[in-house]
Amino acid sequence: MKRYLVKALLQLVPVMFLITLIVFVLVHVTGDPVDLMLADTATDEDRRILTQALGLDQPLHVQYVRFMSNLLQGDFGQSFRYDQPALPIVLERLPASFELAIASMIVATVISIPLGILSATKRNSIFDLFITGGAVLGKAMPNFWLGIMLILMLSVELGAFPVSGRGSLFHLVLPALTLGTGIAAEMTRLIRSSMLEILGQEYIRTARSKGLREAIVINKHAFRNALIPVVTIMALQTSTLIGGTLITETIFSWPGMGQLVIQAVNTRDMAIVQAAVFVIALLVIASNLMADLVYRYLDPRIKYD
Amino acid sequence: MKRVSMISLVFLLALSALAAGCSQPAGNSSQADGQGMDDGEKVLTIASGNDIVGFDIHDHNNTSTEAVHVNMFNYLVRKDANQQIQPDLAVSWETVNETTWRFQLREGVAFHNGDPFTAADVKFTLERVAGDNKLLEYGNYKQIKEVKVVDEHTVDIITHAPEPVLLNRLSRLGSGMLPSTYIEENGWDHFLSQPVGTGPYKFSEWIRDDRLILVKNDQYFGDQPKWDKLIFRSIPEDATRVAELLTGGVDLAVNIPPSDLQRIEENQGTHTVQGSTQRVMLLAVRMTDGAVTADHRVREAIDLAIDEQAIVRNILAGGGTPTRTRVTPGNFGGHPDLYDTSLYDPERAKKLLAEAGYASGLELTLSAPSGRYLKDKETAELIMAMLGEVGIKANLELLEWSSFSSRYKSKTFHELFMIAYGNSMFDASLAFDRLFSERAKGETDYNNEEVDALLTEAEQNMNPAEREKQYQRAQEIVADERPQIYLFQMDANYGVSDRIRFQPRLDEMLLADEISLQ
Repeated sequence: MKRYLVKALLQLVPVMFLITLIVFVLVHVTGDPVDLMLADTATDEDRRILTQALGLDQPLHVQYVRFMSNLLQGDFGQSFRYDQPALPIVLERLPASFELAIASMIVATVISIPLGILSATKRNSIFDLFITGGAVLGKAMPNFWLGIMLILMLSVELGAFPVSGRGSLFHLVLPALTLGTGIAAEMTRLIRSSMLEILGQEYIRTARSKGLREAIVINKHAFRNALIPVVTIMALQTSTLIGGTLITETIFSWPGMGQLVIQAVNTRDMAIVQAAVFVIALLVIASNLMADLVYRYLDPRIKYD
Repeated sequence: MKRVSMISLVFLLALSALAAGCSQPAGNSSQADGQGMDDGEKVLTIASGNDIVGFDIHDHNNTSTEAVHVNMFNYLVRKDANQQIQPDLAVSWETVNETTWRFQLREGVAFHNGDPFTAADVKFTLERVAGDNKLLEYGNYKQIKEVKVVDEHTVDIITHAPEPVLLNRLSRLGSGMLPSTYIEENGWDHFLSQPVGTGPYKFSEWIRDDRLILVKNDQYFGDQPKWDKLIFRSIPEDATRVAELLTGGVDLAVNIPPSDLQRIEENQGTHTVQGSTQRVMLLAVRMTDGAVTADHRVREAIDLAIDEQAIVRNILAGGGTPTRTRVTPGNFGGHPDLYDTSLYDPERAKKLLAEAGYASGLELTLSAPSGRYLKDKETAELIMAMLGEVGIKANLELLEWSSFSSRYKSKTFHELFMIAYGNSMFDASLAFDRLFSERAKGETDYNNEEVDALLTEAEQNMNPAEREKQYQRAQEIVADERPQIYLFQMDANYGVSDRIRFQPRLDEMLLADEISLQ
């Protein structure tokens, strides 16, 4: 266990290093923030001055070395747009995004566990057909479209929830539904298949032949073991969540990291993009590590060493 | 963890309420934003497509940011709704000599933190932007050499050269007066997080990419502010911004797509308003030797092939005015004959092309940004089709804004590129900025000695009548030679709640005190 953890943390260093390199190169070769920042009336002289002030006149490798040495001191550089250090701006947005991510996970879990179990125990029934069909639909619906539809139906027509922004818990409902639906679809299918696999196993037949009530068989024996892959999937959904927040936060003008990244890309705010990608990468890696650990804990048969 | 379980619990409740088909208007507090009455408070909520850039008034060039700032800061002189210069923090002014302007400052004005407004603040503010070439607004203020404090309430602004448009310069973005003592004592960063001005509304709270809240300044030197609280919300997604207006979540929404105008009109309790802006959409034409567009007949044919009226009608829902000049009404030096007119004549365009030796057609490239201006992509596509009608095969190159601006900067577009320019100076000088032969090099390669001479003279001409003539003459030449083919002046589309009265301004500023309850 210890050895595994140490190994995982040691692997983290080259991975993060590679990520910073890739993002740095991508951000720097795809365009130049200077012309976006200058007014139309700016002269070539103004351009030169600004380029120099931002240190963008240096060769790329020089810029990268400077970026890395600052990064090692925890400095991700200045945001052009806000004229402030980038990292605090990114971290300031984490709570809003976490709130949305957790709410979406709750939505997904609440929807998928009962549906998944129902679908597996009533295999090939009309329920099953309906649920698996719904799951395909849920997976196929783009967040963008779903979000706008929810706004039109539940806010504009019914006035049940606020359209956008962050404030009360009611503000959280629509974005969480939007983001949670796709994940719920995936989890439902997973719970269904892992339940089916388990229901066909020896010990379930044994339990049934002992005359245990079906409810006990399902809840006590089958569901517990069916949860193992589900927990892993939940952790692995982090990246789906992050991708989803980009779109969902923009639609609902939810002031989280997703919106920040979109705005930063549009304004070529290099420091913010780099800091945000760094933080997101760390989160994804950490959640995958967590998934491994939980999996191991739930299923002692797995060995990492 | 407690919070998480709380959230999940309430969330489950909310979900079950939803499942039970219970559509009670949830969160009355949140909906009250737009009701304008929070505990009897008069609240005005305005939604725009982007957040303000920040509070460094000298380091942005963003109209929508300035539209918010005008409620917090005052200029020395301001433009009224008819673009006439009026006293603001300066009560009177005179020119001492060609390069010196003397301003008498208003007495008894206080900043939001209580500091008195004096000549020292004027010196601090203007010298900061005129002296730091890293600031984005530096180019519009570097003409100021120094600000001399004559006494507590008198300043002399001294320019490097005669500066006929100084008042225009001082009534726009970057001219808001800053509190020098407050900034010197607490540092610039503190000012950025706790900005202080002299305006009718003072800073309360800013949650980035969500909302900025301003509250009434009871000590304001002018008329009592009309609202208790202003909420500026940032809602980037068009459909969401429209939905907020329809549900009464906001009182005013800017940048409404033309396709949604009808829906807002038909909805009970909302209407739309269209207002002219300073932005003019145009095609910049490469006149470099060897380009097909170097031939003036080809340029004229392009102009005659485009039906501006049809573009405005079909794509912009009527929100625009065809023009043959960039100096539209409300700007100094405009040419009325060249405004609200178009030369659409496809038959003559074909003749011109035949004369130029392109009877069997010609091919060129039109580059345009996509997603930058209202319906830019659709406009470019329609222009491409119109050019095709007369036998010009235009290869359309659509670029997202940051690639477009890289190409723009490196001047590597081919025959035509489409762009919209604003004019924050409200003066003809800015409209010719890129047509000086020096500045046009590599872009349009326009080179006309007469135009150069006219512009150079007008730039420092302190006689307004003469100056106006010079600019009008220059516009005639440019309209004829077509280094830039002007298409139309763009309107701004607003969605407005019936509970407020709102008249759009040409400069697109959102002055809360010009907006009132019905």
